[in-house]
Amino acid sequence: MSQVLHDIEKKIIDSLQKILEQTPEQLSESTELSIDQIRRGIEWLRLKELAQVKESSKVEISLGENGIDAFKNGLPERKLMDLIKDGPKTFDDVRKTLSGAGFNAAIANAKKNGWITIEKIESGSKISIKEKSIETPEEKLISLIGEKSIPEEQIENKLALKFLLQRPNYVIQNTEKSKTVSLTDKASKIDSSISHSGAIDVEADVPSVFAARTHPLKDTIDEIREIFVKLGFSEIQGNLTQSSFWNFDALFTPQDHPARELQDTFYLENLKFEKPASSKQIKQVSASHSQNWRYNWQLKESQKMVLRTHTTCVTIKYLAEKKPDEARVFSLGRVFRNEKVSYKHLVEFNQIEGIVIGNNTTLRDLMGIQKEFYKQLGLTKIKFWPTFFPYTEPSLQTMVYNEKLGKWIELFGMGIFRPEVTKPLGITKPVLAWGGGIERIAMLKYDLDDVREFYNNNLNWLRTV
Amino acid sequence: MPVIELNLNRIKKIISGNVTKKRIVDTLPFLGLDIESQDGDKIRIEYSPNRPDYSTDFGIALGLEGLLGIKKGIQKTNIKKQGKFEIKVDPSVSKIRPFVTGVIARNGTIDDETIKQLMNMQEDLHFGIGRKRKKSSIGLHDLDRISFPLNYTTSTRGHSFVPLNSESKHTIDQILSETEVGKNYGWILGDSKNVPIIVDSEGTTISFPPIINASVTAVTTKTKNVLVEVTSLDKDAAEDMLSVVVAILQMAGFEIIQLTISGGKNSTPRLNSRKIQYDTRLTEQILGLNISTSAMASSLKKCRLDAIQKGTKIQCTIPRYRFDVFGPMDIVEEIALGYGIDNLTPKLSPSQKLGEKSLMTKKLEIVSKITVGFGFTEALNSSLTSKKILFDFLNRDSSQMISVIDSKSQEHTILRDTILPGLIENLSKNIHESYPQKLFEVGTVFSKAKPIHEAINLAGVIAYKESNYSEMKSILQSILKTGFKIDSKTKTPKDNVTTFANGRHSDIFVGEKSVGTIGEINSDVLDNFKIRTSVVGFEIKLSGLIFD
Repeated sequence: MSQVLHDIEKKIIDSLQKILEQTPEQLSESTELSIDQIRRGIEWLRLKELAQVKESSKVEISLGENGIDAFKNGLPERKLMDLIKDGPKTFDDVRKTLSGAGFNAAIANAKKNGWITIEKIESGSKISIKEKSIETPEEKLISLIGEKSIPEEQIENKLALKFLLQRPNYVIQNTEKSKTVSLTDKASKIDSSISHSGAIDVEADVPSVFAARTHPLKDTIDEIREIFVKLGFSEIQGNLTQSSFWNFDALFTPQDHPARELQDTFYLENLKFEKPASSKQIKQVSASHSQNWRYNWQLKESQKMVLRTHTTCVTIKYLAEKKPDEARVFSLGRVFRNEKVSYKHLVEFNQIEGIVIGNNTTLRDLMGIQKEFYKQLGLTKIKFWPTFFPYTEPSLQTMVYNEKLGKWIELFGMGIFRPEVTKPLGITKPVLAWGGGIERIAMLKYDLDDVREFYNNNLNWLRTV
Repeated sequence: MPVIELNLNRIKKIISGNVTKKRIVDTLPFLGLDIESQDGDKIRIEYSPNRPDYSTDFGIALGLEGLLGIKKGIQKTNIKKQGKFEIKVDPSVSKIRPFVTGVIARNGTIDDETIKQLMNMQEDLHFGIGRKRKKSSIGLHDLDRISFPLNYTTSTRGHSFVPLNSESKHTIDQILSETEVGKNYGWILGDSKNVPIIVDSEGTTISFPPIINASVTAVTTKTKNVLVEVTSLDKDAAEDMLSVVVAILQMAGFEIIQLTISGGKNSTPRLNSRKIQYDTRLTEQILGLNISTSAMASSLKKCRLDAIQKGTKIQCTIPRYRFDVFGPMDIVEEIALGYGIDNLTPKLSPSQKLGEKSLMTKKLEIVSKITVGFGFTEALNSSLTSKKILFDFLNRDSSQMISVIDSKSQEHTILRDTILPGLIENLSKNIHESYPQKLFEVGTVFSKAKPIHEAINLAGVIAYKESNYSEMKSILQSILKTGFKIDSKTKTPKDNVTTFANGRHSDIFVGEKSVGTIGEINSDVLDNFKIRTSVVGFEIKLSGLIFD
């Protein structure tokens, strides 16, 4: 069976077939692979019994401080011999040139070599040449080493080395551990150039890549839209900019109501909707306000353009125009509030609102639709609480139990449009309405506690969420 | 939604029957009150702006008593006639703040907490039905500091008295220019020469409505007897406000005495209840609930209304302070509340029709799929953005921009007319992320057109060292071709556009119609956004191209 070889393995084999023994570092150089790849490759080859690794330690010898001095100026005993070659000298004379340890060593070694005789005289001791001094093995060794570093095994005169090692700072021994790699017989026959497995380093780190994707919030929006469709609701569309008439007046919000003030609602500068609705609609809505809220309704106020504060303006307009006897429709999209942006408030967020019109449309039916909606989202622990919306009566809100937070949280609201809303617009049947903000649900889904994250477009988040 | 802080021990004491704290906490939501937070006996509650009677613990206790079955039916407004207390109205107020009303509340006890609760009530009434004091405003006074009859009249701006929370005399002008309330509410009086004041028979100024009371009549924990006065632009609105105060003070144990009012179109308040005939068939029609008429009547009484069965109808009596009740639909809600929302079982009735997404949604789903297929990640930006991002950084002409008035956020002041700048801004926030970066967005853009035209645009950007015009053109043409079988061409534009590099951008045409632009982003623009790589972008109008 032929071996499947990795490109790294092939390169190593190739190189070792040319230079039979190499260290990993040498291999890295000859193959142009990284040292990590070489180490990994050697390991694989060893497991396949294609390479062997010899671990050896090598001792290198070089000269120390005194050794270098001896190499340049001779050993102390040689210096001594130079001093007395023209006639005997006293200790004191010699000490002038050879001081301290050098003096002692010079005397001791010259004596040991049998080069000198020492006589006691009145003024101390006198040194004179005994016989001609020839080059010693130690001196030969010092010349051999010189300023290089040589492997210990190359030194023949082990005794000379031993002597030098006994003298301080003449030679230094350096032990270096090294690995050398060579091929086994099996591997030396492999022709790596014709092996074409195409294998690669399957364990190597690779660059991170990210799938392109739709926005997580968009995914939640789509999911919710699908559930509405599943529940029999059809989608209608409307503008984000609306006249105050449809955003407020048609929904029975009195013109001096705090919700209509600049500090809650975005009004558009210098823009007005000349004729926001039909004359009949305007007349009847105006009458409903004057009669029920007891104030003087003004067309001018209703012409002001706003960024819609809810999607209800779209559904009410649809009802007023189509006056369907039976329908389930919904509207989904951005709505706006003039608020300070914070971890829980945005100036612009998504809302969905569905309405049901027809016979047998009771509050209990609306509750049933809600329950089914949450079930589709995987939320089964829900309850209903009464609440207040200016244009529905009765009004309820859904409370959903969140296991992670361990508490009930408020999600969608619902209610039946007030007759003060529907009647002036010629809508005679009860209209059930339900809906709410989508970001809140998406936050639960993506485990976010800051709603702004949805609009930061932080690629790190978008790529990994 | 307004918020009020309650103490459970106190509310337990106010309720006349025996009830556990737990029962109270469990019942609150079914009055329509949201528990915002709870810390031991302290509990913060959000209530609906249409129920100012819930602005004090007395009002909430009144509601709880009903729902808990401790006290049912209406709390009768009992105004004793005594003729001793009177306000006379001077004709001079008619053009400034023509109406005044009020009552006397006697023999009550006021502690610190009661003062806190009454102040909360006052604030709520001022903000809500008082429309920030403009429509109506209220003042509470220590009765025993006042000598009757009172006179509701006007004074010049040089008139002076010692206002509440002060020790020295201030002129009206000083109050308006130096005090917090004066600065906040002075606008209500406009620049009229004279302002409304209430003075007693000894000439002591007790109030300068709707701005501030006098210090001399301040209500303290020593106060036993209270004068309530409401001034207003509208008589009914004034009595609405008064009725809430009366209901609360009665619940707090005060005895209510008549304050005689005369002059102009003013008269002594009666605060009568109203009667509404309720057709019992509505209960089943609206709630889907089949219960007996007597069960309905009992439910209504639990909501502190009165109800008498009359054949298939119920005659309901609505106390004056429940002016949120307009007609039968409100009665239906009261029945639901009295019956108990948690006793209503949801019912799932199948839809008669199949639901359908809008054509636009369907088309946009295709756009999304294909663009993601080309490796673009979807971004979402606000349609309300800033002039800096939209115009200044791109050196674009801002003369046609659409602004909102008084935005609370600097970053959200202008409606976008194009999506591309937002995407470039997104790139600038991601310069530390790996390249290439490809983003797209689909969204609404706005332009001025009697009054506004809205369209849906698609924009995309590619950012990395080698990004270029041709790469983006291939992708854009393919999006239109693959998704919608639309052939598009690019034409060299007559003029350069500040957004793009000269000679590196074009107009996109479908047939003879220009639908968008494409090009390499100008290096000045990239500098403005501190982007250090090449960026190419496009934007096309989808409205009118793939849907109407």
